[in-house]
Order: sequence, then structure tokens, then C-alpha cells
Amino acid sequence: MGKKIKVDPVTRIEGHLSIEVEIEDGKVKDAWSSGTMARGFEALLIGKDPRDASYVTSRFCGVCYSVHQMASARALDAAFGARVPWGGTLIRNLIMGAEYIYDHVLHFYQLSALDYIDIMAVADYKGNDKELLAVRDKIISLVKAKDTYPLTPRYAPDEFSVKDPDIVIHAVRNYLKALKMHAKARNMGAIWGGRTPHYQNIVVGGVTSYPDLNQVARFRTMLDEQAKFIEEVYIPDVLAFGTGPLWPLAKMGLGGGHYNYLSYGAFEKDPDGKELVFPAGVVVGLDPANIKVDPVDTNKIVESVKFAWYKDNKPVHPYNGEQIFNLDKKNAYSFVKAPRYDGKPMEVGPLARMIVARNKDLLGLVAKGAKPGAVARHAARAIETKIVVDACYHWLDELQSAMTKPGFKIHDTEHWDPPASGMGAGYFEPPRGALGHWIKIKDKKIENYQAVVPSTWNASPRCENGARGQYEESLIGAPVPDPNNPINVVRIIRSFDPCLACAIHIIDPQTNELRKFIIE
Amino acid sequence: MKEKRAERNLLQMVEAHGINRRAFLKYCAATAALFGISKSKFMTSLAHAMETASQKPPVIWLEGQDCAGCTIAFLGLLNPPVSSIILDKISLRYHETAMAAAGHTAEEAFEEAVKAGGYVLVVEGSVPSADDRFCMIGGRPFKKILEEATANAAAIIAVGACATYGGIPAATPSKGIGLNKALPGKAVINLPTCPVHPDHLAGTILYFLANGKAPELDKIGRPVMYYREVIHDNCRRRGHFDAGRFLMDWNDPAQKDWCMLMKGCKGPVTNSDCAVRRWNDGISFCIDCGGVCMGCAEPGFYSEMTPLYTAESETSKRIVALRDAGMFTKKNS
Repeated sequence: MGKKIKVDPVTRIEGHLSIEVEIEDGKVKDAWSSGTMARGFEALLIGKDPRDASYVTSRFCGVCYSVHQMASARALDAAFGARVPWGGTLIRNLIMGAEYIYDHVLHFYQLSALDYIDIMAVADYKGNDKELLAVRDKIISLVKAKDTYPLTPRYAPDEFSVKDPDIVIHAVRNYLKALKMHAKARNMGAIWGGRTPHYQNIVVGGVTSYPDLNQVARFRTMLDEQAKFIEEVYIPDVLAFGTGPLWPLAKMGLGGGHYNYLSYGAFEKDPDGKELVFPAGVVVGLDPANIKVDPVDTNKIVESVKFAWYKDNKPVHPYNGEQIFNLDKKNAYSFVKAPRYDGKPMEVGPLARMIVARNKDLLGLVAKGAKPGAVARHAARAIETKIVVDACYHWLDELQSAMTKPGFKIHDTEHWDPPASGMGAGYFEPPRGALGHWIKIKDKKIENYQAVVPSTWNASPRCENGARGQYEESLIGAPVPDPNNPINVVRIIRSFDPCLACAIHIIDPQTNELRKFIIE
Repeated sequence: MKEKRAERNLLQMVEAHGINRRAFLKYCAATAALFGISKSKFMTSLAHAMETASQKPPVIWLEGQDCAGCTIAFLGLLNPPVSSIILDKISLRYHETAMAAAGHTAEEAFEEAVKAGGYVLVVEGSVPSADDRFCMIGGRPFKKILEEATANAAAIIAVGACATYGGIPAATPSKGIGLNKALPGKAVINLPTCPVHPDHLAGTILYFLANGKAPELDKIGRPVMYYREVIHDNCRRRGHFDAGRFLMDWNDPAQKDWCMLMKGCKGPVTNSDCAVRRWNDGISFCIDCGGVCMGCAEPGFYSEMTPLYTAESETSKRIVALRDAGMFTKKNS
């Protein structure tokens, strides 16, 4: 029996997460991922006007709000029979593009970087760059004043931490730059979304924001600034770290997991939606030399509750679930349920998307010896941020051309009122991975609502056959030489960009009270 | 004259700290704009605060049943930049989403800061009242952590709809409650809206640090400087409301700027300076993007605001009745 340690709370993520690992001979032997907060949004929606759903589900999460509005609006579009005009789709896509840019930059600098650098190394910077000297002096002044919060306390830097003063001081300078850049990226979304977090313009049938050319020009100018930062700062930083000081972690494949990947596909390039920026697909048991991508069959999705705080039930499709909440259940350890595809745990997110897309840049790194894992996840994020930036330019051009033609539309007004009955699914690929919302409408009200979100896939506990979730599996074998300093554990978990408030919106907390959950 | 001297002294002081005059004036102007007060008056109080405070005031930021939206909103502050607040103005001892520490290291930082006392406590997210186990952090109920943190706090600021009056979680079976119910009798500064407006939060923290007391509050604990006015009175669509022109089709450029009442706008009974201050560095706000005000600055959000996108909610019915009674004519509003 190894030594068990718990990291609770796991910080610099969205939401409340607890990770327990068993360590033997300096390595993780077993792991348990536990979501520890729940609200019960789904129960709230039952009986409400269906149009409320896109507004309310945005509040699943204040980090990735817009993607829930998007998936929810898509589920409503399907249930209402609404056809979103190309103008509406373009504005939705541009807002989602801004979300990608902000989310990935925030994740790399604000949420992850501190795991990889010894920030105190800046004190040894010997160069004469004025900007960098100012950064150095700022940190030194904090140290002298004995007040370096929130940069400390921290887990102690280890053998893999970057200590070269030149590299670290650039990273800290860029950390401060990134604080402004991701705020500005959210401002791009606000041009049409009204404000962030929680946009106001995405509704069933399209969007509410009739665009003008000034807005297009403003978005383009702001996009130029973001594109420059991404190409000249973010991507070079990720590559410099990934192929430089972090190469040992990349080669080791720290945080690999099950090597199963799922992407629903997203972002139409043209009005008929035939070609997607991110293709859909499933990869089981990755062989990098010969990637076999299967089409997605959403009928193969089931959710297991064996180790979650719900009354026991066999695994069922989200459409047919039956939920009984049980806080006192033995062996249960999480509010997160365990979704499986064809019975298998899946990884969703940037790495999954780039593998399903057989992205050349990512596969180039793999060919050089990087194994899919924590470092590759950061690389995949940077690679796809550039893809999204390019797509934003394409959508802007399309919008500018479409809005100057007669008959330009942003909303399907014919289908604004809720149908007497209906059902629909909305799929999307947010920055964190595959997202699905399902709705059923009866008597013009929500009869049932269900979402399976990216962090439900990644953070899930064990399922029926005991197979670990992706976080748990990815921790196995990770080096933890000092149980009091489990820095590799948080490196791995944060590489997924966890979002726990999202993962656990779905409960029925009326203890021991059966509620049928039926959407056939 | 007095003010001028204060300005000079302060400038000498900050110049000695390596901040140039231009940068500092810019910072002060931006900060003063947060309060809507004159620059010189603000600088006098800030000078006093900086001269008397020997070290940065500690801040503890707790997250309960939250979505981190208020955190992200706060991180979006560009004027003054949020980095200058976090690194120069306050000592952020505990913040789950921002801090370097994790696990026991984070818990120890929390305990030390609470023990030392004298901090500003910022609370984001509601407290589950149906069962403590709906929100556990470090193996302990959030409710207990909150009670510990309030004991030695110099000021308590509730941010966002959830922490103030319960917000959306109030309508869920976990029965989220705001600090008004979770900490009865405690003095709490309420900054509702979903999420909190970053200006409101930065301004309130800096006001407290500069003056050593909370700004003037209204009957439900909101700073008067931000929530005095009704959104409706400053709405640029107001003329169309008065003229009875209501948007029905978002595709029609002719209706683009018409009043949003029939799509469910609650601006006529919602108090906040959104329409003047606007959001995201002044780029837009809810009503400007063809959206509607959902009344997120009011205690009745969300249950009294649904169905959100119609004029049939309790709140919308009240607005229509008030309008029919002529209560929104310029004279009476």
C-alpha cells in the first residue's frame, strides 16, 4: 500500500476539484478525481420557458460561458425548427473565436505557467532590457516587502522547473502582457455580445445584434492586435518551453492517459456547413504512426453513476437517464458522472481535436519524440488558436460581404415562439472540448434538460468496469518524488484546463426522490 | 492650495518608488473615474491612505457556489490595470482561481491570513442552504470556511448576483443563498449584477482603502455611487419607449434601436449605472447589443425575471402596469 495524498483544493482552475493520489516508489500508483460543488441548474430549468435555457446555462461557468449559450441555442434551434441565417452564424462564430483566443491565452499564462517556472529566478536577470529590468525590480520589491502574494506560497520548483533567468523573466513579462491581452480578447466578443462574461446576444434562431461596418472594422483592428500577440509571443513561448526546458516532460509523455480522443466537430466555413474548421471524429487507442479516425455516433454515449453521488442505475444514454440523488452513497466520491463512448473513457479538448484533425504541426512534434500528454496539450492549444484566428478573418470577410447585400438576416424570427412540443440536441467544440446540450419541450415549457460537458468527460470518476476517468488515468506513473510537493500532479491536471462548475451542474438534489429523466 | 500640496507630496513619494509622474497621474485619473469624483479630491484621500498604510492591505477572495464569472470580470479591468491592483495596491492572500498555491499550501495561506485579521473579504458565489455538502473545499463545507473568514474581516464585499441575494442558484434545489441570509446582521457591501462590474469592485475596494469605511449604501446594501440611478433613465432607447416604438424583429434595421420592452427588458425597474458606465472598457452593454436588461442588479433575479425573453414575467408585468399608469413620464421617473 502506497502513501495517499490529497490536493484539495486544486487551484488555478475553474471550480472546486479535489485530487487524491496513491504514491508508491515515488510514482503515482492510483488516482481519484472528485468534483466537490454542485448547484442543480438542470432541475431549475424544468418547467421554464425554453428560451431561458441559453441565458441560464451560460451561468454554468463564468470562464466558458459563451460556449454553453452556443450549445444551448443550437439545441433550441433544433427543437424549435429554427434555421439560423448565415449572418447569425457568422456573428456567433466570431464571438466563439474571441472566446478561444481569450481562454487559451489565459490558460497558458495565468493558469499554467506558474507550474513550470521558478518565478524567483528573475532576480538573477543580468541583461539591460529596460522593460525586463522593470519586471525584475517589481518582483524584487515584492520580495523585499515580504509580500509576494498571490505568486507565493507555491509548490517548490523541481528538477523540471525552468530556472534560466532570461527565459523566466520573458515569461513573467509575457504573463503581465497576457493579463491585458485576454481581457482585450473578451472585449472583442463584447462588440456584439454586449458584455462579458455572459453575453446577451445569443438566442434561439441566431443573434440579437444587428451589425454595422464600424463594428466589423473595430473587431478587425482588435483581431490584428491579438494575431500579432499569438504569432509573436504566445506560440513562440509555448514552443520554446515545450521543445526546450520541458522537452524531458514531453518525451516522457507525462499525463498521457487512455489515448482515446473524441471531437464533435465545429465551426462552419460556409453557409451549407459542409466543411468544418475542426472536424468530427473518434480515435481509440492512438497509434501516432497510423491514426485511425472513426465517425462520431452520438448513440454510443452513455453515462455511468456507479461512483458518483446518485442512486445506482445502469449506464444509459443522456437522452434516457434516470437520476436519483444520493449524498450518502458508499464508494461514491464525486458529483461528476462518468460519460463513456462505446464503453470507453475519452479525452476531449485541444489535443483530441488536433489528433482527430491529423494536424501536421502537432504530429510533427510527435514525430520528433513528444508523446501526447500534458506538454502536447499546451502545444495543441497554441496550434489551434492560430487556426481560429485565421478562421475569424475568414468569417469577418464573409460578414462584411453578406451584410452589405439586400435581405441580410441575423435571426429566424418565424421560429421565435416556443413549439408546443419538440426535442433537440446541440453539439459544439468549446476550447475545453466536446460539449452537448439536450432539450425536450412539452406544452411550450422545458420538460427536460441535460448537458454533457468537456470536463465531465475528462474529470469523470470510474465507471461500471472500474476503468478510471481520463484525469485519473493520466496521473498513473507520474513522478512524485516528494509527497509534500506533488507539483507533477497539478501540472497534469491543469494541462486539461479543468472547469468543474460546468461538469457538475447536472444533479437532482432532492434526496431519495425519484425523478424520471426521459428524452427518447 | 491644500490639495495641491498633497498632490506634490504624493508625487514625490511615488517618484521615489520608481513610478513616473505621467504614469501615476494616468493611474489616478482612471481610478478617480471609477468613483465618479474629481481627481484632486481622490488623490488627497489616496495620498493619506498610502502615507499611513505601512504595508499593502490583505484581501481574501472566497468562491462558493460560483461560476468564476466575477473573477473573470475583475481580471478584465484595464483602467486601471488589474495587475497594478493585485501587485501594487492589495495583498491577495487567497483566491482559488488566481493563486500559485494549491492544496495544503493554499489552506495554510488562508489560515494565516484569517488569523492575522484586518483583511477585506470578497465573496463570490452563493452558500448552499439545502445541504452543506453541496459545496466542499479542502474537505470542509464552504459555509464553515465563510464563517471563519468573516470573523476577523475589516470589510465584507459580496460580488455578483449569487453572493449578494442568491442569484440563479437560489432557484435551484441546492437552494443557494446570498450573504444577506447566510450572514444575518453582518455589515456587507453588496455589488450585484451577474457578473459583478469590475469598476464597481475595484472602486469599492479602493474607496474602502482610501477612506477606511464603506461608501454610502442604499437600503439593500449597494453603494449609492453605482446603483443610484435606474437603467431606464439613462438608456439611449428611452425616446423610443416614450414614443411607444418596440423592437419585434431583430432583422429589421429600422427597428434596430427601438425599445426592448416586448423582448423582456427589465431596465425600467433595475438600478445600476450600466447604461452610462457601460461594460468591457466602455464597448457596449446588454441593451446596446439588441439584448435586454435581465434585472441582475436586483434581489428578484432570477425567479422574478423569468420568462426572460417575454413581457410576461412578474417584473415585466409590473413595468407594463407602471407604464400604463403614466409612471414613466419624464416628470415622475
